[in-house]
Amino acid sequence: MADSRLTRVSGTLTSLFESLVPPSDLDQDDTDTEVRIDRAIQNAKDIVYHGDSRLPADTNQAQDLIKRKLLRENASPEKAARFGNLYSRLLAIPILNQKWAILYLLYKLSEPATTEPHPRNPLADSDQFVNIPRRQAHSPEKSLASEDQEEVSAYPPQAPLHRGRAFPSKLRHEHNDQDGVSQEEDEDIREAVEPPEQVAEKPLLAKQQPRVTGPSELDLLRDLPFNLQGVSSAHLEFTATTTVKLPPTLPVPMLSLLHALAEPCLLYRGLAEYAAAQDGGLIDQSLRSAINDELRSYLTLVASLESEIRQALATIEDSHDLKAARMIGVTLKRCLVWTRDATMGLRLMKLIVEDSRQKRGGQMISLIHSLSSSHGDPFVASFAERLLSRVARPFYEMLRHWIYDGELIDPFHEFFIIEPDPSSQPAIDHRHVATSVWEEKYKVDSSLVPSIISPEFARKVFLIGKSLNFIRHNCGDSDWVIQYSKSNSKPLDYANTASLSLSIDVAYRTTMSRLTHLMSTKFGLFTHLAAIKKYMLLAQGDFFELLIESLAQHLDRPVNSMYRHNLTSQLEHAIRHSNAQYDDPEVLRRLDARMLELSTGEIGWDCFTLEYKISAPCDVVITQWANTQYLKIFNLLWRIKRVEFSLNSTCKRCMTGGRGVLAAVSDKLGNDWKRSRCVVAEMVHFLNQLQYYLLFEVIEASWEKLQEALHKPEATLDDLIEAHTTYLNNITKKGLIGQQRHPVTGQQEDSLVVQVHHILKCMLGYREIIDSLYSYSVAEYTRRQQFSAKIEQRTAQGRWGITERDVLGDSRASTPTAPGGRRPLKGAQLLPEDSDSPVPPMANLAMTDDETHLTSLRSRQLNLSAEFRSRLSMLLYDLAHQPDVNLRFLGVVMNFNEFYQPVNVRRQQARRAREKRDLERRAREANMSSEVNISEKDLNSSTSKT
Amino acid sequence: MPPTESKREKAREVVDILEEISILLNTQLDRTQLSLCVSLIENGVNPEALATAIKELRKDTQDLQHGSGMSQ
Repeated sequence: MADSRLTRVSGTLTSLFESLVPPSDLDQDDTDTEVRIDRAIQNAKDIVYHGDSRLPADTNQAQDLIKRKLLRENASPEKAARFGNLYSRLLAIPILNQKWAILYLLYKLSEPATTEPHPRNPLADSDQFVNIPRRQAHSPEKSLASEDQEEVSAYPPQAPLHRGRAFPSKLRHEHNDQDGVSQEEDEDIREAVEPPEQVAEKPLLAKQQPRVTGPSELDLLRDLPFNLQGVSSAHLEFTATTTVKLPPTLPVPMLSLLHALAEPCLLYRGLAEYAAAQDGGLIDQSLRSAINDELRSYLTLVASLESEIRQALATIEDSHDLKAARMIGVTLKRCLVWTRDATMGLRLMKLIVEDSRQKRGGQMISLIHSLSSSHGDPFVASFAERLLSRVARPFYEMLRHWIYDGELIDPFHEFFIIEPDPSSQPAIDHRHVATSVWEEKYKVDSSLVPSIISPEFARKVFLIGKSLNFIRHNCGDSDWVIQYSKSNSKPLDYANTASLSLSIDVAYRTTMSRLTHLMSTKFGLFTHLAAIKKYMLLAQGDFFELLIESLAQHLDRPVNSMYRHNLTSQLEHAIRHSNAQYDDPEVLRRLDARMLELSTGEIGWDCFTLEYKISAPCDVVITQWANTQYLKIFNLLWRIKRVEFSLNSTCKRCMTGGRGVLAAVSDKLGNDWKRSRCVVAEMVHFLNQLQYYLLFEVIEASWEKLQEALHKPEATLDDLIEAHTTYLNNITKKGLIGQQRHPVTGQQEDSLVVQVHHILKCMLGYREIIDSLYSYSVAEYTRRQQFSAKIEQRTAQGRWGITERDVLGDSRASTPTAPGGRRPLKGAQLLPEDSDSPVPPMANLAMTDDETHLTSLRSRQLNLSAEFRSRLSMLLYDLAHQPDVNLRFLGVVMNFNEFYQPVNVRRQQARRAREKRDLERRAREANMSSEVNISEKDLNSSTSKT
Repeated sequence: MPPTESKREKAREVVDILEEISILLNTQLDRTQLSLCVSLIENGVNPEALATAIKELRKDTQDLQHGSGMSQ
């Protein structure tokens, strides 16, 4: 029997070795080679036959060895996993008796993936073989050391104490060492596990280090499953949540093993306590449940470990066979290896729990996500990934509600979108700050955005939910939202990020287009914008002509005599008779005329304003702030329009009068009229340019841009709001209304609109003078008419036409008799006092009244026109130094032929002030000197010159 | 005979698995060699000795090839 087996073996060996020798060599009939091959085969056979029939000590660990080798040599754990799979299949087949031996053979034969081309040095090979077990034996020790340190650092007061106590006790027990059997067994088992070269040094150690008493490894093993569940046993006692008391009577290697094994025990205790707690937000709770699940799988591991241990212990007790015990090989060390992965998991969870204490919501998700995405250890990464998919579940639930229903369901404020408490917000004046429901109802808390979501993505999510919420609550279209959420809602989770981003994109597009669609059709946002342009920005010209004409006589009256029904009826009239009547009744309904209450102006012109009422959903775009801006622009435009209108009407009167009344008195007032016509022409030019600039260059251009932005295909509500705000800012800034700051010093300057208002006021004053001049001319005309009628009457009665009394009394009327001497004089000197000075001494008081009226009119006329020019020059200077191109353009248009000399008023004022100071200083110096009179005279003359 | 049939089936499966493992480990054994090895070990040959023998033999043949290659 033995012989047949032997022959079979030798036969198989021969065929194996011959198959190993390459056939190409056999072709050559090189006897030398053949001999060498034969010798080599013989050699190999010898090796096999003379080989130790005993199995090497670590045969049973071949599986572990292979796994480790694969892990070491390959970057990904994939091969090791495949091997694990194959191994379990192999175990399932009962055909082989020597599975481990075969595996061991394969392991020994295995070579690194990159085989060197040259023959390997057998010495190196054997070195390698010696090294592998050693490294393996070392690595647990190393990790023990590191874990030991870790434990010491984690539980500083206790661990060193135990260790410190362990040494003396060991020494104490050195001498009283009798317990033979168990120690023997223990030693045997240890020998069974330990790699060969440690066995070699074992006798040495054993000699030096006498055995100690204390719980044997078997006892410890028996208790281990309980310890791993955090339950105290006879030998290991948990004194507190983070400490465990080790038996003091153990050798150092055993202690370090127990140290390492204590880690999962303590971690489990802490985690179980955490997982059992109830408080915290939804994400906290989901973290707890995820940890609970992980702990459950850990417990499964412990259970399987326990069954292994039970089996091993039973075998040992039954057989008392050392060989059997060796074969079973369940030891503390092996338990440590088995629990290693689980310990890693526990450690990771503990880390997460510790770190997440200060965090909430998205931050916690970010924490776990950073572990899963950027941790180098694939085990940690996959573990965190698994944990993340469960922890993020409530987050995705909230996200789903948000992007499909537009509802924020976040009882613990963990979501990155928050609903600010309205009572906690500072009160702001909505007329000055552009805010609205749209902007304020929800906010993004960027610190809570989890790192699984990019900022761009978060912005989209925020917009989607906000739009849905807005559609539902502000646009009254909840039907659509419900339908939408029914048809589109689908569960989101961490696993399929790609489909998540896809569905978010779809939802984004749908909601945005729906919202803009609602805005443009149901709420007619674009119609309103156009109507505002028409009626607030004076684009509807015929309507305004009519309105201003019909309102003119009302508005000249004081404010307190104005009645709203008058205004509205005039407005109605203007609408009826202009093209505005064809406008949408919805638009006309919103148009209203009213008086500003806050205004202090005395007459109606200053207070009148049109108003365009904006109702609920549209006020998100056309906010109260925007309404105020529109009012400001309207006021400016209205004022310009009013001045234009009054100048026009005055002009009209003068033109018609010029042929009749004015021509009759042209000998006396012709020059005044000529001058006033020139000034009025200047003013009209100014007004025309200003109006042209505002209406065409500013408003139309901005409108064009707004239209472009509004009709972009993928414009969101946010885009609309932004475009509208830019539109308004453009208009106000270019339309002279914006706050001006000095480009260099940054000081607040007189805004341009104030200057324009002054100029307009000048014009109105000038118009009044022209009106009084006109009435004066008419009066003069009638007086002359009466005079000539009297002359005719007297002549008819046969008396002298002109008496002495007439000449003296009616100096005015007599002027035509002596025109030549006085006219040129008056025209040349321009000072009415001089021209009229000869008259008053001769005339009585009634006549001088008339004369002084005329002279004061003339002087005011001159003053106003001078003021108009100087103010215009100032404005032109300021315009020329504006940073904005359009404003500079306005300056150029007004002064295209350089008729005006732009002056820097501030510099002039500064110079004047300086000169004045100089003069005063000089005056003081002069006072010091004796010749007071002379110097004062000089001063007077010099000041009058300046 | 069904039992032997199934046994053969099982044996083939075992060899399949072992072959995969050997490919994973890059042992450079083909299927025949592998099954020979398996039968040897099942017959009580020391795996370590067998491994050493195979390695020796490979080294020798490699030396040989190398030498002949040089001579050519």
